[in-house]
Amino acid sequence: MPVAASAIYFLNLRGDVLINRLYRDDVGGNMVDAFRMHIMQTKELGTCPVRQIGGCSFFYMRISNVYVVIVVSSNANVACAFKFVVEAVSMFKSYFGGAFDEDAIRNNFVLIYELLDEIMDFGYPQNLSPEILKLYITQEGVRSPFSSKASDKPIPNATLQVTGAVGWRREGLVYKKNEVFLDIVESVNLLMSSKGSVLRCDVTGKILMKCFLSGMPDLKLGLNDKIGLEKESQMKSRPAKSGKTIELDDVTFHQCVNLTRFNSEKTVSFVPPDGEFELMKYRITEGVNLPFRVLPTIKELGRTRMEVNVKVKSVFGAKMFALGVVVKIPVPKQTAKTSFQVTSGRAKYNAAIDCLVWKIRKFPGQTEPTLSAEVELISTMAEKKSWTKPPIQMEFQVPMFTASGLRVRFLKVWEKRGYNTVEWVRYITKAGSYEIRS
Amino acid sequence: MAMHGMRGLSVFISDIRNCQNKEQERQRIDKELGNVRNRFKNEKGLSPYEKKKYVWKMLYIYMLGYDVDFGHMEAVSLISAPKYPEKQVGYIVTSCLLNENHDFLRLAINTVRNDIIGRNETFQCLALTMVGNIGGREFAESLAPDVQKLLLSSSCRPLVRKKAALCLLRLYRKNPDVVNVDGWADRMAQLLDERDLGVLTSSMSLLVALVSNNHEAYWSCLPKCVKTLERLARNQDIPQEYTYYGIPSPWLQVKTMRALQYFPTIEDPYTRRTLFEVLQRILMGTDVVKNVNKNNASHAVLFEALALVMHLDAEKEMMSQCVALLGKFIAVREPNIRYLGLENMTRMLMVTDAQEIIKRHQAQIITSLKDPDISIRRRALDLLYGMCDVTNAKDIVEELLQYLSSADFTMREELSLKAAILAEKFAPDLSWYVDVILQLIDKAGDFISDDIWFRVVQFVTNNDDLQPYAAAKVKEYLEKPAVHETMVKVSAYILGEYSHLLARRPGCSPKEIFGILHEKLPTVSTTTIPILLSAYAKILMHTQPPDQELQSQIWAIFNKYESCIDAEIQQRAVEYFALCQKGAALMDILAEMPKFPERKSSLIKRAEYSEADTAEQSAIKLRAQQQPSNALVVTDQPPANGATSPVPVGQLSLAMVPSMITTEDHTSTDPASSQQNGSLTKVDPQHPSADLLGDLLGPLAIEGPPGATVQSEHNAVSRLEGGPDAVDGSAIVPVEEQRNTVQPIGNIAERFHALCLKDSGVLYEDPYIQIGIKAEWRAHHGRLVLFLGNKNTAPLVSVQALMLPPAHLKMELSLVPDTIPPRAQVQCPLEVVNLRPSRDVAVLDFSYKFGTNMVNVKLRLPAVLNKFLQPIPVPAEEFFPQWRSLSGPPLKLQEVVRGVRPMPLPEMANLLNSFRLMICPGLDPNPNNLVASTTFYSESTHAMLCLIRIETDPADRTQLRMTLASGDPTLTFELKEFIKEQLISIPTAPPQSPAPAPAPAPPPAAQATPQIPPNDPAALLAGLLS
Repeated sequence: MPVAASAIYFLNLRGDVLINRLYRDDVGGNMVDAFRMHIMQTKELGTCPVRQIGGCSFFYMRISNVYVVIVVSSNANVACAFKFVVEAVSMFKSYFGGAFDEDAIRNNFVLIYELLDEIMDFGYPQNLSPEILKLYITQEGVRSPFSSKASDKPIPNATLQVTGAVGWRREGLVYKKNEVFLDIVESVNLLMSSKGSVLRCDVTGKILMKCFLSGMPDLKLGLNDKIGLEKESQMKSRPAKSGKTIELDDVTFHQCVNLTRFNSEKTVSFVPPDGEFELMKYRITEGVNLPFRVLPTIKELGRTRMEVNVKVKSVFGAKMFALGVVVKIPVPKQTAKTSFQVTSGRAKYNAAIDCLVWKIRKFPGQTEPTLSAEVELISTMAEKKSWTKPPIQMEFQVPMFTASGLRVRFLKVWEKRGYNTVEWVRYITKAGSYEIRS
Repeated sequence: MAMHGMRGLSVFISDIRNCQNKEQERQRIDKELGNVRNRFKNEKGLSPYEKKKYVWKMLYIYMLGYDVDFGHMEAVSLISAPKYPEKQVGYIVTSCLLNENHDFLRLAINTVRNDIIGRNETFQCLALTMVGNIGGREFAESLAPDVQKLLLSSSCRPLVRKKAALCLLRLYRKNPDVVNVDGWADRMAQLLDERDLGVLTSSMSLLVALVSNNHEAYWSCLPKCVKTLERLARNQDIPQEYTYYGIPSPWLQVKTMRALQYFPTIEDPYTRRTLFEVLQRILMGTDVVKNVNKNNASHAVLFEALALVMHLDAEKEMMSQCVALLGKFIAVREPNIRYLGLENMTRMLMVTDAQEIIKRHQAQIITSLKDPDISIRRRALDLLYGMCDVTNAKDIVEELLQYLSSADFTMREELSLKAAILAEKFAPDLSWYVDVILQLIDKAGDFISDDIWFRVVQFVTNNDDLQPYAAAKVKEYLEKPAVHETMVKVSAYILGEYSHLLARRPGCSPKEIFGILHEKLPTVSTTTIPILLSAYAKILMHTQPPDQELQSQIWAIFNKYESCIDAEIQQRAVEYFALCQKGAALMDILAEMPKFPERKSSLIKRAEYSEADTAEQSAIKLRAQQQPSNALVVTDQPPANGATSPVPVGQLSLAMVPSMITTEDHTSTDPASSQQNGSLTKVDPQHPSADLLGDLLGPLAIEGPPGATVQSEHNAVSRLEGGPDAVDGSAIVPVEEQRNTVQPIGNIAERFHALCLKDSGVLYEDPYIQIGIKAEWRAHHGRLVLFLGNKNTAPLVSVQALMLPPAHLKMELSLVPDTIPPRAQVQCPLEVVNLRPSRDVAVLDFSYKFGTNMVNVKLRLPAVLNKFLQPIPVPAEEFFPQWRSLSGPPLKLQEVVRGVRPMPLPEMANLLNSFRLMICPGLDPNPNNLVASTTFYSESTHAMLCLIRIETDPADRTQLRMTLASGDPTLTFELKEFIKEQLISIPTAPPQSPAPAPAPAPPPAAQATPQIPPNDPAALLAGLLS
């Protein structure tokens, strides 16, 4: 396994080091100054997540108001390093119980040092699973062995855990009520030309699960995707029931999924870890159902006036509705006055982002609200800069709708005790970068 | 005050200050800008308070570095507000946001003017400040008189007049041509009588600017300046607020003395004496004290006084006093003062007498060379370099050499160069010079440029007595364990050439010398190996009788390097090896290098060049010019071959680099090596100058110049001898008469004549512009293109080209742009239509402006008669009927021409051919006669056949009989005259050399008919001759 990091730094937005850990001594302690000088204080920040300065490579990403920087001087595996950061952050979040930001770091110095010691050794990533780490890196005080009160919990055996056959699940879990939550979360990325033709469109989705199940259950998930259905139809030698099958690209599974069974039987079967986890990720490029159509007409009337008309059409079922719809319509920088007429929601001009922002809290399906705005521009000294017309952006969430059309066909739970389980399935589609050129 | 109660503004500023990061700040500012835009766009309009507030906000945002590209209108409109707070913000924001080239400022001019001529003093001040900050040309045009009035008005408070003076200064600096300062001398003098020191200081600044432009007009101010200075120096009537640490207004003192330095001398003895008293007082009264500020101020005054003393060329006593003072300064601890002391001493060198006095401080200066501060060390080095002369050269150079080993690396190159130059310039004897340079190479080999060792080789080569000494010396150095590569180069060269002179000495046998040199071979780089190989070859050659062992050793080395990857080394090895086999021939080829022609040291050139861009070097430069001393002159050994003519310095490297010489040696089969150097030195040092039109007209343009001088000589001669020509010569004069300061490059007439024979080339050239022509002729139409090429990096303006066409030509010149951008070429097509036959010439009246220099030239255009000719071969069966049908005048004219420039018949035939008259051989049975035919095109005659017959007399080539026939009487006459002109005035024989066709004087109108106008010289001539 390649090295992932020689050192890891957590910096705030000003470039102060909040906390750091050196894993190898092949980078100097002052390398972070180079990062500050050559990356943070230049325009390059945010353009390229990997930079090489003076023989060292810097991998950085921003998470809320913290920069996480990995410094490496050897030929490291970049993907591994970034994956490590992402996993570490999600682990920190589960420890802090929510946000990961500057304040959270400041409040948990000791814990973070402990965790940093544990999750990486000499630059090689170690176990990052919070479930297991929580067994021996606890936030509570350590009970004294002389304490008279006997522990009511069995002392966890972490070593056995990690080296056992099912490393991600503890044995002997007992729940009164056995429940499984399954969420399919998709985000739609779209770039549409002004004439309404789709230039680029894809959906990235993930299946999130939350399990509260006793014992060592075996779960089996069936989706209406092509692989599974084809297999099934082959086995039962009859045509598929539902006409529509979904072709998933780039499917990745959580480590608990039995890949040999997936390869041989094409079924997703797994022993889930306890608690929350991401079961799989996928991507779809064909046959995307777009939830919204946007029809903009923007007219420039002379040098100082503009007329903006935007019609947004929801094309999902009439019974469904979208939440938190925001349409951002860019306007030139010299916008002075705006006046709006909207059939639903509220609109205003936001000078900080040079956009007309139209918000609709609840947006039912099969409707088409419109916005018409008049924009007055102020005359400027400089020669009229040609306005580049950035695309209109949209944000939304549509519950119980999947842009890919993916559906859960079954979720079976099998446990030797044979208890009853309750399965909850949710769907939600969000906007990724949903852009329409005007 | 104005900020009071502007809550919105203070809230905004505190918001910005509370921003955590740049991103937040940007968002806040974008939001605010949106708000401001919204408010400015409001139809209802803003109250003055709101407007003021938003404009302040805009300014604050602008000061934070954000782009504010709107709202200038609002800012400018605030200027005209009646209340002070609004007016103030208007002025401030306008002068921050706008610059002098902004159109918006035009709107403000009138308001500003109203404020200036108004009665409110605060408004006047605001307006003057704004104009003083951003006043441009238009401001100067419309406001300068008012500002001048304000400056002089007695009713104004000093505050206003102070600002007026500074405002005027700015306007004058920006546009000296717009501000009218005629007759200002008296007013300035009057201003200098001012008692208020504030006004006086401002006026003095103005005076410095005025005087620097034109000191003549301000003589009357001189005594006043001295008086002011006296008042300050004596500390009379100086208010408390104008004394700075007890010094009465040091700023005014400095400015006054600066102003005085612009006057060349002071005539009036009384003023002069007063001034010297004052200066004396300043020189005496300044001391180094503890307080830094006081020190700075008093020394600023003092050094300005020193500069003035130097400028005025005071008496020796005062001078020595100054030097003594400076000597004191260079000994103090304070580094700033020491630096200034050294710098001023360097400047002092300019004054002739001071040098001797400065020399007394030599020891102290040398101590400064070891100062921890590098800038002081540099100054000390400059000073030492400047003060060096024959008497102290030895000490100084030795000091520099000693210092070299401990000097800073950044200084070593400069140091070694300067030491080398000094050694060369002031060497008491040449052996000392050789010693110094060798020491230099030994101590700072890395910093020795090639020029330095080339130079020493050159000296050694040119001085026979020096050769054994140098050879012995380099051998000594070479015997040291670690030797720098440059030293190996020098030694190899010198030992190769002159080691045989040492042969008698112990340890100097060829074999031993070879041994010493060969030891170094493995350590040197590829650039040195060739020199070593040459040295080996020379040693081998000088070994008489031949030493078999040495020979085989050297041959083995040559053999080894025959397969070297470096082409230079390989070639030498192969060639030396081949030459060595030749025995006796080797002697000639490898003979001693001939003497180098005497030339100015390239080192000194280089030093001068490097000094050119440093400001304070003028003293050294001046001195270098004053004493062009040269070791060759200083020494009592003039070079042996003084006959060799000096060659431009640029060639030094060419002649010097041994590699080039030797390659030449061996590729040449001629063994006479003495000639080789000669042939090398003949290499033309002139590089063809960058020619703008080169890409188009290059080959043609080059043809022009070489014949030019010859031609003009001939012209002069023929003008003296041949009466007829003199007339023509003078006829040319008015056309190219020059009132211009710009001298054309090349002879305009020559260029014109060349263009009469060919279709493209350069018509005119001067240092700024080159005008080229390219022409195409088809029947009676012609299409010329003028190429106007600006040769400079500045644009040429007011370019005008006016055609003065003669009556027979219809010419249309396309629009010539008013400005030719730098280094650009503009093409101007010109259409020509020939209406009638005539010999008159079109004239182009061309003018342009470069800087303030107006240049106007009148150029003849080569749209001459022969351009409309088309050669046509006519067979005998057609010729004779034609010839016969055109009988007698006016269609057929015959004339005996005398005074023809004698030339052989074929040459004349060539000449006629070049005029597009086609010689038809064999038509005339008499071999001494020429028959030619051609077609002439014009709008009136269309295509017209012309037949020519020229009968020459083999006994007397100066006369001939010419017969011309064509269908048009005018054409016959004009063509005859044209050919006659060409034949008579041909000054040189070769047909390719352009014939200066004598052109008739410009007034062309009368020439349309064959009637002989009395003022046409050519026609008069024709009348005389027939």
